[in-house]
Amino acid sequence: MWLPSYATPSERLMRTLVVALAVAVLLFLIAPLFIIVPLSFSKDPFFTLPVQEYSLRWYEDFFGNPRWMTAIANSAIAAVLTTILATTLGTLAALGISRADFPARRLVMALLISPMIVPIVIVAVGSYLFFGQFGLTNTRTGLVLAHTALATPFVVITVTATLSTYDTNLTRAALSLGASPSSTFFRVTLPNIMPGVVSGAIFAFATSFDEVVVALFMTAAEQRTLPVQMFSGIRDQINPTIMAAATLLLALSIMLFATLSLLTRRRVR
Amino acid sequence: MSAVDIDRINVFMAVRKAERPARRAAFSLALPLIAFLVVAFVAPILYLLVTAFGNPETREVLPRTLVALENWDGTSTPEEPVYAALAADLKIAKDNSTAALLGKRLNYEISGMRSRVLSAARMADKLETGPYKEKFIGLHQDWASPDVWSVIKRNGASFTPYYLLTALDLQQAPDGSLERTAGDQAIFLDVLGRTLFVAGLVTLFTLLLGYPVAYVLTIAPKAVAGIMMLMVLLPLWTSLLVRTTAWVVLLQSDGIINDLLMALHLTSEKIQLIFTRIGTVTAMTHIQLPFTILPIYSVMRSIPTTQLRAARSLGAGPSSAFWRVYAPQTLPGVVAGCLMTFILSLGYYITPALVGGPRDQMVSNFISVYINRDLNWGLAAGLGVVLLGVTLAIYLLFLRLVGADKIKLG
Amino acid sequence: MNFSQRVSVAADRPVDALVRFEDVKKSYDGINFVVKDLNLNVRRGEFLTMLGPSGSGKTTTLMMLGGFERPTLGHILLDGKPVERLPPEKRNIGFVFQNYALFPHMTVAENVAFPLRYRGITGVAAKDKVREALGRVSLEALGDRRPAQLSGGQQQRVALARALVFEPSLVLMDEPLGALDKQLRERMQIEIKQLQTSLGITMVYVTHDQSEALTMSDRIAVFHDGRIQQLADPETLYNEPSNRFVASFIGENNTLPCTLLGREGGMAVVRMGDGSKFKAAADISGTGGDMSVSVRPENIGLAGQDGRPDFNRFGGKVRDVFFLGDHMRLSVEAFGGEFVTARIPARRLRPFAPGDDVALECNVAECRLLEA
Repeated sequence: MWLPSYATPSERLMRTLVVALAVAVLLFLIAPLFIIVPLSFSKDPFFTLPVQEYSLRWYEDFFGNPRWMTAIANSAIAAVLTTILATTLGTLAALGISRADFPARRLVMALLISPMIVPIVIVAVGSYLFFGQFGLTNTRTGLVLAHTALATPFVVITVTATLSTYDTNLTRAALSLGASPSSTFFRVTLPNIMPGVVSGAIFAFATSFDEVVVALFMTAAEQRTLPVQMFSGIRDQINPTIMAAATLLLALSIMLFATLSLLTRRRVR
Repeated sequence: MSAVDIDRINVFMAVRKAERPARRAAFSLALPLIAFLVVAFVAPILYLLVTAFGNPETREVLPRTLVALENWDGTSTPEEPVYAALAADLKIAKDNSTAALLGKRLNYEISGMRSRVLSAARMADKLETGPYKEKFIGLHQDWASPDVWSVIKRNGASFTPYYLLTALDLQQAPDGSLERTAGDQAIFLDVLGRTLFVAGLVTLFTLLLGYPVAYVLTIAPKAVAGIMMLMVLLPLWTSLLVRTTAWVVLLQSDGIINDLLMALHLTSEKIQLIFTRIGTVTAMTHIQLPFTILPIYSVMRSIPTTQLRAARSLGAGPSSAFWRVYAPQTLPGVVAGCLMTFILSLGYYITPALVGGPRDQMVSNFISVYINRDLNWGLAAGLGVVLLGVTLAIYLLFLRLVGADKIKLG
Repeated sequence: MNFSQRVSVAADRPVDALVRFEDVKKSYDGINFVVKDLNLNVRRGEFLTMLGPSGSGKTTTLMMLGGFERPTLGHILLDGKPVERLPPEKRNIGFVFQNYALFPHMTVAENVAFPLRYRGITGVAAKDKVREALGRVSLEALGDRRPAQLSGGQQQRVALARALVFEPSLVLMDEPLGALDKQLRERMQIEIKQLQTSLGITMVYVTHDQSEALTMSDRIAVFHDGRIQQLADPETLYNEPSNRFVASFIGENNTLPCTLLGREGGMAVVRMGDGSKFKAAADISGTGGDMSVSVRPENIGLAGQDGRPDFNRFGGKVRDVFFLGDHMRLSVEAFGGEFVTARIPARRLRPFAPGDDVALECNVAECRLLEA
């Protein structure tokens, strides 16, 4: 299907050029990500290719350094808490907003999506100043609250998208068969929208785990997350241990992405 | 009103009443999230607005002075009672160590006021009795200046436009009129313009590079298109910090891009790429590309192939069919993708901070600097209001043209 | 020689052919052919329908004629000139697409004016032509609307106006009425046919709806498995199907296996499954072996006490009876295990119940011998 069979020669040439450009852009998209992988396995602390000699020293450095380990733990705890909160709140809201009789849907949807839109620095500074009033800056609670606000739009969007293909007659059928509203939800609705909920949860986890700016403002050394640790590292003096950290984050992203792809494929089937 | 009308109204009210429980049930499901966002998202932003306009220093430190100034004519040097009140206020300020706050606040508007307030406070602490007027004026000429007093009086108000005006390179003259901030103090419009310019440039590049990709995604055989889609979505999934890190490494003077350029003999000496505008725009374009591609692709995919065939059968050549029939139909996707990328580009912080030079710092970076280094929260908040205003204006445009429910992920 | 080939050779003098397909083959993968050895002449001014189930090659044939697919082998001649390599925009053929393919970002008038621009017609002349074309389909008043604001039937008319406005000598239609409801479809069939006759254009029409084909066409080409099974006018097609596929695809038909025994006064004599002898009209040659007899349900009636000379008579057991208003359908088991459907006017039918024995008959002229 690259070309319609009625294409004229000039059209063929044009097509070829467009395809070539698209391939170049796709390489531009993907190549920078994988540049960091070989560099993280280099023995030398230089950022040049080809790598002369491979070693695991930067990974040893990474896993041997309590700072990095604390940062990973902090990120993971914050991300898990954020995921639980955001998925619960977001799924409930999506269930409500998907009902035909939801009042002022456009307005509410605009509000629910806005954390994606508002510049992250504004959220960070606002949270820093506001949560500071209640002594929540430099606490994990404050960080999780702010991250949850940032993550909920993703859950709302994915679950709403799944619900748009959910047949409400399933709910009616369950109720007509004698199930209570709550057991209808847990035994009929939830299993059917599960792919959307899990996708939303994965997005929420990634949002929190990757987030830098809010974490930069809201954490002290004790709650410092992995991205913050990386950010300060790059700012001071970029070193190959950061490459190791970046490679591990990339691997995590690919894993989450693969999980999500499997989920969406199953949903299509 | 006829009986029929009344009937209709009754029916209407009955319908509304009957629907109310369902509406309430639907809304109550969304209520926890709405409440949460109000507390954890809207309230912090509102607090930022309050900080941008809040003006507590003068009111808290100089309450008596402000009362004494109520009868001041505003043009001459104030009378003794004002100075007596000032001495009393500053004495207390010295004890509570709040004089520095006031000094810092007044210093924003009249440079040098910080040290003047601090030395006046030290003097006031030692003074037992009046008359105070000559002693203050003796300490520094400025204490006799009606301009200084009008600034103090003006700042007796609970709210001030000062920070917002500063963020827009404007200032209030002592007589209250607006004027342009002079010379090297006027940097913020430049920063805002730079932010808009970089965001616009990034949007343009993502469109130029992304449009062909979206198009090829629709014409490629299914298996190939699947792999291509993966190449678009994977960067989207990768942490923004990882992508920025990659660019920091790539753009190094001893980095891979320079090696490549020299190997290809495109340049004979190393080019400065990191900490430049080119580097910033390149990295941001890379990060934003998927956001522009996806909405365009989803619109393109919905255009039936018969559209182009119909155009051809009616006599349009390949390029005419593309530009007159196909391209206009992709416009909704182009608008959605470009607005999204523009909005997101306005708020960039990490990438300019790590890849850009001093001249490439965006509004976000300045906000951060005023919070962390200068501790000028008011000005940070003022800049925040400007950034938020611009962003929300474009978000409203997005909501009108595209709609919040059209946002999809992947 | 096969029936369809005989007809096409006899009827298609090359002189009045607007379109000629010469040994056209089409394959997408080089292994399977969607169109196999197509030879077809479209006469100037005729309404020719390509009828067939999906995947039969009819749409591919239309697309090749429109210029959207290129024949793998063979030639397509338009007005005597080969056009295989001519891009669609240079063919000057009107094309009405399945879902109309109206341009959603243009008004109705802009849609109709679209082809005029490429033919150098602009300004007042274009406006007049657009008005005239919209008038032809009774849509003068809706020129400023967008396609999305029109009903399905109106969209269909706009597509028609757009394909006719530049006065092409040939108009192709790809299942243009498929998306409309039954009533509207029937009205549009008549309208399209009237437009075609009054404008004197040649029309090639693709459909899988046999009643549509029968209503509108001068000739019908029945496609199956990449080949034309029969090319004939509607009546011939209905009454004299040339093979089993055509017999079962057009209308309802009983096809009953039999063995050819010989010929007797222009009629074939065959032995049915239960050993009884039948006579049937036969256009095909052949001397023996497995064949089938086809007979339409409406041509089977209840047999009287005595056998009539020109009728085949047979008995069976009633399996099902359906009342359908003006007639009844009997499903009868006969010939040792075959099911025969008979359609009998309701008033003449005494009440039957499943299990009853029944005697049926059919005119020998309405029984046709076909190759199995």
